[in-house]
Amino acid sequence: MSIKSEAVDVSINHVKLLQQLSVELLPGEVVALVGPNGAGKSTLLRVLAGDITPTRGNVFYERQNIANLCILQRAHYRSVMSQSQPMIYDYSVRDIVSMGWLHGDNEVHENTLELALQKTIKKCNIDHLGNRRFNTLSGGEQKRVHFARALLQLWLPDSSSKHRYLLLDEPLANLDMTHEISMLGVIKQCAEEGIGVLIVLHDLNLAAKFADKIVLCDQGKVVSQGTPEQVFDSEVLTSVYGVTITLSQNPLTISYY
Amino acid sequence: MDKSNHNLMFTNTLGYTKQSLILFLLIILAVFSAIVASTNGSFEVSVVNLIRGSATDLQSLVIMQIRLPRVILSALVGASLGLSGAALQGLFRNPLADPGLIGVSAGAALGAAIVIIISPAFLIDSSIGPFLLPLAGISGAAGVIFFLYLLTKGFGHQGVTYMLLVGIAVNAIAGVAIGILTYISSDAELRTLTFWTMGSFGGVTWNLLTPAIVVILGAMLYMAPAYRALDLIQLGEVEAYRLGVDVKGLKYRVIMSAAAAVGASVALSGMIGFVGLVVPHVARMLGGVSHRYLLPASATLGAALMISADMLARMVVQPAELPIGLITSAIGSPFFLWLIFRMKQNVY
Repeated sequence: MSIKSEAVDVSINHVKLLQQLSVELLPGEVVALVGPNGAGKSTLLRVLAGDITPTRGNVFYERQNIANLCILQRAHYRSVMSQSQPMIYDYSVRDIVSMGWLHGDNEVHENTLELALQKTIKKCNIDHLGNRRFNTLSGGEQKRVHFARALLQLWLPDSSSKHRYLLLDEPLANLDMTHEISMLGVIKQCAEEGIGVLIVLHDLNLAAKFADKIVLCDQGKVVSQGTPEQVFDSEVLTSVYGVTITLSQNPLTISYY
Repeated sequence: MDKSNHNLMFTNTLGYTKQSLILFLLIILAVFSAIVASTNGSFEVSVVNLIRGSATDLQSLVIMQIRLPRVILSALVGASLGLSGAALQGLFRNPLADPGLIGVSAGAALGAAIVIIISPAFLIDSSIGPFLLPLAGISGAAGVIFFLYLLTKGFGHQGVTYMLLVGIAVNAIAGVAIGILTYISSDAELRTLTFWTMGSFGGVTWNLLTPAIVVILGAMLYMAPAYRALDLIQLGEVEAYRLGVDVKGLKYRVIMSAAAAVGASVALSGMIGFVGLVVPHVARMLGGVSHRYLLPASATLGAALMISADMLARMVVQPAELPIGLITSAIGSPFFLWLIFRMKQNVY
């Protein structure tokens, strides 16, 4: 049970963006995708999301090739958050979050939606924004609302034993330190509840602190993957990033992150 | 925490109730204007007499054969322009999209003009005759929409300006073609053509109306299930796909039904500008932006507005008539200007 890519190649206009990329995301784990700009992190995320069909290789959701899954079925397995476009019309925060609801809007579901919505909004600490117009929010606040929408998309009835996956492309951009930590806390909590989380991160410190597994990419290939201790080797990082990187253990027992 | 949760729930229920109430009032308004419009005009028919069944034969004839088809046509045209405007503005994520501005109405007019001037008499007299004008209108509208689709690379977000510039170009091209057709037309054809470019609901018969009713209602019903996808596409095409929306299917559904509804409308009543632009904005101001409310509200408001505007067109200069397109443009164009000024604030 997982989301995985198997030997995926992606070429656009004969430029190879990804080569022989295989990654796997298991339920309940946080996988951080790291690497320098242009390493193919976002492309890989988009391949896993199904936005891009790979030139070669396959993507599987729970052992099913996504080529055989319809668009709506895919939406039930995973939700994605990435850089979002501005909203043209004046929707409320509530409207935006409910856009993640995949289970119909008839009378029977209205109460379920209401409960799920309350829970999600509370979880993401945006209850105070519920009545606001989305376009009056700051960039960071909008990001948190979109995050709540992505979470609501993964809603399952308590009785369900299905697995869900969350793909996040740089979710921390535009967030101040407080909200950075609080969003990572929510992400961690989701993983504890059994959601598999793939997160594209720039900050290696945060990746080391929060991820169960690290996938280090460079030039469209996986350089190494494994636990933070296995992947973060100063020689490897120095050669990938082209700047000298030294690793040190945090001397304080209480750290910021 | 508890308090804010409670507030949230409250606004939700209130939001839906308010929208249902507005929708209900709009329907009443449409029905009311339909009754007033069918009983008023240069020929007096009293409502009371009509209900009591004591109307003269002439009065019933006027109502059944002249006023009623006219009111139904104006309602249908208003509804299809309002609905198409709302759906196109949603699909393009562009508050200035309007069947008229982006050239769709001009395409429909060109299609119909070609049929009026060029088509041989036997086609018009044959059994497909009543369908010929609506069909030509629909093909013209669909042609323009397809052209727009190609030029904007699948309606990608090329920006408001680009779409409007293409619309201007399309309008100009259709204008030239209609001009040429006007030049080679006979006197009688010319009269029909002029009446077309200004728009009118006069002279409609049940014969012409019936196919249009089928096409327009069919197109509107086909459009209706798209309301949720139209909300989701506001997040962007990729995001909508990730939320399970078949974006290609949505575009096809909205564009085809808008082309059919607008095409058939223009074919029967000529070019009536600005209704598709103004009506959805007014509906949004009244009750909000979610398409579940906006689509039916725009259709109903469009119908009510068009019935009233047509009544105005008949009553102001009795016994003559003002072209309806003149009235809607007179109201709509200042509104358009005002919208452009509002664009600075980026809130619709």
